[in-house]
Formats: sequence, C-alpha cells, structure tokens
Amino acid sequence: MKSWLRSESFTAWAFMAPGLLFLAIFTFWPILYGIPLSLTDYSVIAETHYVGFDNFTRAFQDKNFTISLWNSLVYVLIVPVIQIVSILMAILVNSRIPGVKMFRAAYYIPVVTSMVAVALIWSWLLGHNGVVNYLLIQTGIISGQVSWLSSSSTALYVLMFITMWKGLGYYMMLYLAGLQGIPADLYEAGRVDGASSMKLIWHVTIPLLRPHILFCTLISIMGAVRVFDEVYILTKGGPGTSTLTSSVYIFQKGLEQFNFGYASALGLIVSVIIGALSVLVFRFNRKGGVNSY
Amino acid sequence: MSTMSGSFKPLKKGARYTVTYLLLIVLAVFMMGPFLWLLSVSLMPGRNVFSSPPAILPTFIDFDNYVQVWQFMSFPRYITNTVIIAGLGVVFNVLLASMTAYPLAVFQFKGRGLVFSLLVATMIIPSSTAMIVHYLTIQAFHLGNSYLGVVLPAAVSVFNIFLMRQTFLGVPTDIRDSGKMDGASEFRIFWQLVLPLVKPGIAVIVLLEVMAFWNNFLWPIVILEDPAKYPLAAALTYLNGQFSYNFGWIAAGTMISVTPIIVVFLFTQRYYMEGIAGAIKG
Repeated sequence: MKSWLRSESFTAWAFMAPGLLFLAIFTFWPILYGIPLSLTDYSVIAETHYVGFDNFTRAFQDKNFTISLWNSLVYVLIVPVIQIVSILMAILVNSRIPGVKMFRAAYYIPVVTSMVAVALIWSWLLGHNGVVNYLLIQTGIISGQVSWLSSSSTALYVLMFITMWKGLGYYMMLYLAGLQGIPADLYEAGRVDGASSMKLIWHVTIPLLRPHILFCTLISIMGAVRVFDEVYILTKGGPGTSTLTSSVYIFQKGLEQFNFGYASALGLIVSVIIGALSVLVFRFNRKGGVNSY
Repeated sequence: MSTMSGSFKPLKKGARYTVTYLLLIVLAVFMMGPFLWLLSVSLMPGRNVFSSPPAILPTFIDFDNYVQVWQFMSFPRYITNTVIIAGLGVVFNVLLASMTAYPLAVFQFKGRGLVFSLLVATMIIPSSTAMIVHYLTIQAFHLGNSYLGVVLPAAVSVFNIFLMRQTFLGVPTDIRDSGKMDGASEFRIFWQLVLPLVKPGIAVIVLLEVMAFWNNFLWPIVILEDPAKYPLAAALTYLNGQFSYNFGWIAAGTMISVTPIIVVFLFTQRYYMEGIAGAIKG
C-alpha cells in the first residue's frame, strides 16, 4: 500500500482527480443521465412516471420535431460553403504583403464578439427599411423591400448567412495554419513544371490541407446541427416553424416548458444523428472525398 | 515569396499587389462594416436606423447615447458581474486543465489509455441535452442563482486539456529529473518548475475562456433568477427587449459590451491565433 502511494500511478491519478470529477459531473453525466430521463415524464411540477418508449414514439409523430430536424439538416448546407470561402480567404491572407496581419485580425473580430451583439447588428441591417435592402435596391439586385428575418421563405437562409459570417474568420485561421505548414518548395517544383495558380491550389494546396478540411468540416457540421444562439435571439424558431432548429425545440420543450423527459428523448435522437454524421464524414474523407468540394 | 505568386509572374508586381489589396479591402468592408456602422449609429443620437435613406456614415458625432445609457443601465455592476464570472471560470479552467493534462503528458501509469479514450469519446458523442441535465445538477447542488452555478458546468473542457497536454510535451524531461534529484515532491515540481515554463499555453486558455465567459448569455439567464447578477451579455438582451426603438442607446450599450473583448483580442492576437492553430495538432 505504501509503495503504491509513492508510485507514479497514484501521483498521476491524484493530479487528475479534480479535473476528472468535474468532467464526470458535467460532461459524462449529461450523456448518461439523458438515457434514463428520456424514459420518464419528469417535469419538476408533477409526479414522475416511467413511460417506456412513449417519448420516442411521440417524437416521431411530433410534426414540429420533424420540421426542426429538417431545418437543422438544411442548416448543414453552410458546411461546404464555409470550407470553400474560408480556404479562399486563408489563401488570400497568406500573401506576404505589408499590412496583411491587420486584415487577418479584422476578419477575426466577428468571431470574438458576442452573438448577442452580432445578432442585433444584423437584425437592424436586415430590417424592412434597413441598410441591406437599401443597398440591394440601389444596385438593382432586388426590386422591392424584403423582410429578410420575418418572412418564412428567407428567415432560415438569413440565419445561416449570419452563422457563416460570424464563423468565417475562425475557419480561415485554422486553414491559414495549415497553409503555413506546406513546404514552399512544393510550389516551386510545381511552378517549374509550369502549373498554373489554380492547378497548384487544386493539386498541392487542397490535398495537403486534408486533415484541416476534415477537422473543420466536422466542427462546422456539429456547429450547424446544434445551432442555437442566433436562432434563439433573432427568431425563436419563427415565423411559424420556419427557423425552428432542433436545439431551439429541445430548449423550448425542456427549459421553457419543463418537459425534461420528452426533451431528453429528443436530445438523444439528435445526438445519434450528429454521431452518425461525424462517422459519415470520417468514412467519406478516407475515400478521397476531398475532391468533392 | 508568396506561395501563390509564381503564376502571376507575367503580371507586374505592382498589379499583383493592387489586386490583392483590393480583395483584402472588399473583404474587410464585409467583415468590419457592420461594426463600423453600429459605431456610427451609436454616435448619432436620435438617428433612426430604419430611416430612408438609411444613415450609413455618421454626419455628426455626439457621445450623448453613451452618457445616457451609462446612467440608465448599471454598467459598473454588470461589468463587475462579468469580471467575477470570467475570473472564476479562468481560474477553474487553468487549474483543472493543467493538472489533468500534466500526467497525460509526462507520466506512465495504469489506465492512461482509458482516460484518453474517455476524453476523445466526449468529443465524438455530443450531448444535446447537456443544458437540461446541467440545470438539474446545479439545482441539486443548491447553486441556482449563484456565480458558481454559472461557472461550474464550464469549469473544465476536454479541448483545454488537450491544449495543455500539447504544451507539457514541449517541456524538457530533465527539468523533472533535476527536481527529483533535489528531493522535491511531484506537486512542487509541477507547481514551481514546470508551470512557469508553460505560460504561453496558460495564456491561450485564459484568453479563450475570458472570451467565452464574456460572451455567454443564455446559461446565465437560465441559472440566475436575479437580473442584478447578470453578466453584460445577458443584461444586454434585457436592454434590447426594453427599448427596442431607442436605437442609439442600444447601439451604445452594445459598443460598450463588445469593445473590451475586441481590445483584449487585438493586443493578444498572437497567443490567441497560436492556440487556435494548435487545436488541430492536439
């Protein structure tokens, strides 16, 4: 016993104990506890009963849940757009010209500001009499004012745009780190062979960025499926259910209507979908999926 | 040499510069324009953001909005709340992440692989109901309506643990050996010899967490019953709800809340960017 207390194993576990305790309570427990919770009608107010799989059968008949899942999947459409735009941005800010660091910082500012502020600014800009409508009408792109956030045909896409706008700088920095790890002589060799700039990007840059593309695709998929803040602040799922995403719906069921059991069941279903999507991306990427962008 | 420059060889260097700068500026307008416009709204009292034609550039500058909104909203209180919450969050994250990461980087022990797989698993298996379970947990600990209740669910993150592990791997092993020769305990070696060497890693966590806690608005609203305890971002949503048509006040209040974090970012961006980029390697 005494020798174990002096062993490296004991010291290691003693160091990790506080951190692991917190992880157990606030990371592992939510994953595990959601399962039993989803089999009950726990609601704080009334008595709790075991209800079997009722919550799950109810979920698949719940039209709003199906709509919210669909909206969350539509949201994933921003993932390829984010990758293309942020890779191009990264190539641009990888130019070694004076002042480029200032531009990198400028593009990153939306990332560090709060979604509360970003949402407020865009809600004003996108208002019926707002600056965006004014500029688009002046340049002849649209003929009449559009209520971007309060019409059900545009609201979801506008939210997707805001999510993308706020995140671009983040992905740009990740790709920039990747670009700076590519040895310059690879480009030299390509140029000697007479390859064009586009060809160099396609045959040298993109393949070598593959780990970064995989990582960024994964985190942006998770971000898109779980999107919450901007939707909650700007539309709360409306108008109607046109921007109801799964996270917002789960939040409404759980922390607004205190339907913890049902909300947990919905959460489990969404977790399984996100897990499956992640596995899919891994598979896809292993089979040379990079070319599909 | 720029990596992409070769194919532009036929073009004059000047033309290439012009095209690049043009693109950089257009993009800067797209990314920064909305903030500059907010700044301009905040400096023009009485300006309606929905007037036609809209006021894009400031025609006059007046700080009345700032003075009035500062008198109306107790900013010092909300800023104090934010600082307390962010401070607690930073202390927890730095201590827990570095102590958990240290053995994973330098010790050989039983169960190391298990801990690793558990950490990775939490990154793959998402929990969409985390907030609901956190709410129940915090209530069970009787920490509702307290700063600790706001901070504890985010007291440690797997991301930070991997970040610190990466940093510890860069510390020479003979540091630990020399400490052992002098008879120092493992904890003293960690605290007095190793931690001072990983300050850059700690700086990254401090920055990331200050920003995360500064911008967090939803969880504080869920867990704090008393609005007087709200951090700035949460209080701002309240201001927006109360005075949805006093554009100048809201703009000024928003500027007050985002400026500190932008300034912190601009002064520390080197560390910050390194930390973000290090995430992939981890």
